Amino acid sequence: MITVNTLAKRFKLNKEHKKQKQCTDVREHDGYFHSVKDVSFQCGYGEVLGLLGPNGAGKTTTLRMLSTALTPDKGEITIDDIDIIKHPLKGRKAIGFLSGTTGLYGRLTARENIEYFGKLHGLKGNALKQKCEALFTMLDMTSFLDKRAEHLSTGMKQKTNIARAVVHNPKVVILDEPTTGLDIMTTQTVIAFIRTLKKQGTPVIFSTHHLDEVALLCDKLAVIDNGVSCFDGTVDEFKLRGESNELNQAFLNLLDERCHV
Amino acid sequence: MFEVFKKEILELLRDRKTLFFIIALPMLVFPIIVALVAFLTSQAGLKAQQQVHTYYIVNEQYADAFSEQVFYHKSFKKYQGDIKLDSVHALSEAVKLGQIDVGIFIDSDPREAIKTGKQSQWKVVFNDAKAINFTFNRINELANTSSHAVRSNALLELGVEPERQQAVLKPIVVSKVDTADKRENYGEKLGAFIPYLLLPLVLMGASYPAIDLGAGEKERGTLETLLLTPVTRSELVLGKFFTVLASSIACTLITVASLAIWVSIATRFISIDVITTAFSSVTSWDFLLIFALLLPVAAMLSSLVLAISIYARTFKEAQNYMAPLSMGIFVPIVISLLPNMELDTTTALIPITNVALAIKEIVKGTVDYGSVGLIFIASAALAALLLICCVRWFNKETVLFR
Repeated sequence: MITVNTLAKRFKLNKEHKKQKQCTDVREHDGYFHSVKDVSFQCGYGEVLGLLGPNGAGKTTTLRMLSTALTPDKGEITIDDIDIIKHPLKGRKAIGFLSGTTGLYGRLTARENIEYFGKLHGLKGNALKQKCEALFTMLDMTSFLDKRAEHLSTGMKQKTNIARAVVHNPKVVILDEPTTGLDIMTTQTVIAFIRTLKKQGTPVIFSTHHLDEVALLCDKLAVIDNGVSCFDGTVDEFKLRGESNELNQAFLNLLDERCHV
Repeated sequence: MFEVFKKEILELLRDRKTLFFIIALPMLVFPIIVALVAFLTSQAGLKAQQQVHTYYIVNEQYADAFSEQVFYHKSFKKYQGDIKLDSVHALSEAVKLGQIDVGIFIDSDPREAIKTGKQSQWKVVFNDAKAINFTFNRINELANTSSHAVRSNALLELGVEPERQQAVLKPIVVSKVDTADKRENYGEKLGAFIPYLLLPLVLMGASYPAIDLGAGEKERGTLETLLLTPVTRSELVLGKFFTVLASSIACTLITVASLAIWVSIATRFISIDVITTAFSSVTSWDFLLIFALLLPVAAMLSSLVLAISIYARTFKEAQNYMAPLSMGIFVPIVISLLPNMELDTTTALIPITNVALAIKEIVKGTVDYGSVGLIFIASAALAALLLICCVRWFNKETVLFR
């Protein structure tokens, strides 16, 4: 189980930004860009939480804080009662992270990529071999294991990335727009992978703009707008609050309601 | 850290572009380029040497012996045309028009001029804008022979016998007795150029993989993946640092080894006395000392290029930063090349310059081991400081997620 409480992160504005007297973003003040101001949500065992929000709302910054790549200025993140801000190395062992920007080493084969990250997570010998073999079978990767990552198709790369993200049996899996730019077949691979994790009881948090995927997979939703959480609840609660059975409309109504507060 | 180092080395060895710059370029391409340049230069020299010049002498009658010598010289051919030339200006115009290659204007008979205490003025008119030109030297040599003969006759007429003439012309002979042995002498000249070759190689060997390991990883998105592993950022940067350092040392060693092989091959065909004399007394201990001094410099430059590469957002941005650094490395080397620059308490404090000067002293055979020890410690301390800065740099979010 992962709990995120009152998370905040700001970035210092560079000189060029400061020179621009007319500020367009309400989050730019005091010489900082307050990317995330107050974000809270939680995701339990076997739950899939969809993280929604317009572009630039602070989703990626939030997920980067969850992955411990960025350190929050405020708030707390706990995974099974372990504070991962205080113990980032424990956090990294507990989290599997996959995003559109996390790449593979092109000059290593698919197998070498996965084994390398397995080793960095402390796996070795038979344990590493068995875990890798299980992932290769589950994701149907045997045909391209010894091809260099730079020569793989987008689908093959995404499968390798998935295996890389879960090679260390993470307690929580975080996916940042995992289907953006993928074809239908590859998207289906990602969807199937999320379903497998759900069956295994692993909490999954994924940010997306595709509400059809939300309808297909999510138990819960969290909405971030301008760096602030404006919804955290079940899909039914989301529809109720957004006053529409259509997720798209409910989402728009929710943001609209926030604008008028 | 070892896993990171192992993987970086594996990836590096599979990168043809970097391998080309680190191995193929110094091993094959450089010697080929050098050999080609040497071949073309020698060909140009040979051509210039073999070239036969058409000449014209104004007032030939004033110097019969000289005219005869020029006539029978294999490199000169008398002008056979009908044009009559009678002044320096006319000779100059003829050279410009390509009618002759060289003109010689003799204003008076030197045997007569000397009697009145005057010098005979000879002018050699030719196009001297060529890098390799033997014309003037050849004519000057022949003119000197005539000049000596005229002088000798004049002295004889004054009653100075041939055996006394040398002493009359040059009563005092000053000659140099050099206390520096041959090694020291050649070492002073060649030793200064060794750092000029080695240090840029150390930088080149470090910068190519560093760009790939820092900015390259950022651009490809693999750096973020790496930051998600339970390996401390210090370990990650150390793994990368040792890869860059290994590549830098490998590039230098490969180039030096390849140079040694090519020079030994070349000396079988042509004798390069300067190189053979200078290096014959340099022992393997000296080579080890040079290597030991290069090690902290390699560490220094590796930390520096890695820090730059980690800061850059893209491969291209990193390359833009590397260009001024490559030029910057020559400044401390050029300081060490300045005339009479020696290793002292001041120069020993200038990073890189101190190592360059120490390498020169080692090649000269006049090295002070105490100074070398101090330079090693100072350079190692600076390298450690730069490495600590690089590790801190790698821990900064503002650098990693610019």
